[in-house]
Amino acid sequence: MTAIEISQLTKTFGTVRAVDGVSFTVEAGTITGFLGPNGAGKTTTLRCLLGLVAADSGTALINGQSYAHLGSPISAVGAVLEATSFHPGRTARNHLRVLCVSAGLPESRADEALEQVGLADAAGQRVGGFSLGMRQRLALAGALVGKPKVYILDEPSNGLDPAGIQWLRGFLRYLAEETGAAVLVSSHVLAEVQQTVDHVVIIAKGKLVHQGRLADLTVNGSTPVRVVAREADRLGPALERAGGKVDPAPAPENAAAESAAGVLTVRGMTPEAIGQVALDERVVLSELVRERSGLEQIFLELTA
Amino acid sequence: MTRLVKAELLKVFTTRMVWGMLALSLGFTLISLAALSILSGQEGVPSITESAGAIALFSSAASGLVFAFIIGTLVMTGEYRFQTITHTFLITPRRERVVAAKLAACAVVGAIFGVAGMLLSAVVAVPAILIKGGSLSVIDGDIARVGVGVIAAMALYTILGLAMGSLLGNQIAAMVVGIGWIYVLENLLVVLLPSVGRWLPGGAAQAVFGVAPPIGGTPYLPAWGGALLLAGYALVFAVVASTTTIRRDIT
Ligand SMILES: Nc1ncnc2c1ncn2[C@@H]1O[C@H](COP(=O)(O)OP(=O)(O)OP(=O)(O)O)[C@@H](O)[C@H]1O
Ligand SMILES: [Mg+2]
Repeated sequence: MTAIEISQLTKTFGTVRAVDGVSFTVEAGTITGFLGPNGAGKTTTLRCLLGLVAADSGTALINGQSYAHLGSPISAVGAVLEATSFHPGRTARNHLRVLCVSAGLPESRADEALEQVGLADAAGQRVGGFSLGMRQRLALAGALVGKPKVYILDEPSNGLDPAGIQWLRGFLRYLAEETGAAVLVSSHVLAEVQQTVDHVVIIAKGKLVHQGRLADLTVNGSTPVRVVAREADRLGPALERAGGKVDPAPAPENAAAESAAGVLTVRGMTPEAIGQVALDERVVLSELVRERSGLEQIFLELTA
Repeated sequence: MTRLVKAELLKVFTTRMVWGMLALSLGFTLISLAALSILSGQEGVPSITESAGAIALFSSAASGLVFAFIIGTLVMTGEYRFQTITHTFLITPRRERVVAAKLAACAVVGAIFGVAGMLLSAVVAVPAILIKGGSLSVIDGDIARVGVGVIAAMALYTILGLAMGSLLGNQIAAMVVGIGWIYVLENLLVVLLPSVGRWLPGGAAQAVFGVAPPIGGTPYLPAWGGALLLAGYALVFAVVASTTTIRRDIT
């Protein structure tokens, strides 16, 4: 089932085209990573989806409806946005009570949600004294009070420590797998969501550059492979004839030594195919490995 | 709609600011009550044992209008300052309903300030009038009108604050403009240029209280005229508050 459907969304602030004809969908029961470098337009897209920013054109629908037309929005969508904050003088429980009262939910949901995010002990404390991580958890609790089936999270791991990030990952998986929710989570670092997401939507400068399963991004052949061979000058052209794209590896600190050893970065071929070419050419390989930063590299190239 | 109003009231009363402002408002009322009682009958001050003086004494309840105004500004600017407006509009994306709830909540908060002020006034004014040898009968015919006037004025100024907060979005700016208006411009105009001043919210409030105009000045509007004028201002402010809030992008 399609939970979120964004189509040809465009928003301009003054002269800045923040979002430029972006379209993508998010399915129930999956986690979609919404990625892009700083200023790519992620926050703007999400805020249009949530009716906080008026789009110039295009549509952004949740369960087939615009946010303003959802019957009880916080029972349909849970949102955690950056640049959202709390009144410092209000306690965590009172903050959530305000949400519950305005949404017509029982006030008991406030304590239940605090329990779920591990903030039960801080319920009576004023938010002014909260750490960044505690605020993120409180924001998440706010998204949970209505028990929605769609979650929209803008950089939710900002301010979380490694343990907190791990907890968040588990929690998002729980929401998608156990409750069947659709989760859209933005980040500007692929590595941060790489272990959690099923799908990725990548935008850069307001435009969509990639949408698909994370697995596709990894195996579409563009993951670079590092090849080291003494006779690299013979192997390189052979790999190019076989359809590979070959670069001398970037090795800033000891460039001379490396190129002597014959390091190549090959794209568009699997390690197996490269090994086969080396065998055919009777070139001895001393190293043949997928670049570990491959995904990050693809991300950088896509968003450059 | 009632639950939105309830939520707005919860927002106001779950911060400490409201109690501080109420305390200041009552403090100003107390100062005015003390001054009018002590100076009663002296040069230029009406005697509190007479109708005009008694009305002025009870009207002290409205001395803290500016604090009601400040609470009104906070109802809106606090949401922008702390970015809680995002939560508010996520829960209620139909923004006109949020504004309506805030207007209603401001009226209630202002009325609470007014009632508290009237209670304090009564507690001080009644013994003061009796000590000065007066009779409470001098105020009999006016007390209800003064009370309603004080409550209405407090409610209106809270709404005025809300409108100013919506228009400017910034707490400090809204407060500076509001305080400048209430303490400087409006006071000066009501006293120095009463032909204009009587048409301002402050002049309208004086008309409802039934306070006598400054000696030799243009009389205030009749009480009903003042009430109508206050209602008109409330309407204008409500429109300002909603139009400025509904279209704004929340980024
Ligand atoms: N209120 C605004 N007024 C003017 N320009 C804005 C506004 N909000 C966003 N922009 C611009 O729109 C573009 C996209 O911003 P946006 O916040 O959506 O990016 P982002 O992908 O969320 O970035 P980040 O990773 O830094 O959070 C940026 O160029 C930004 O400067
Ligand atoms: Mg952002």
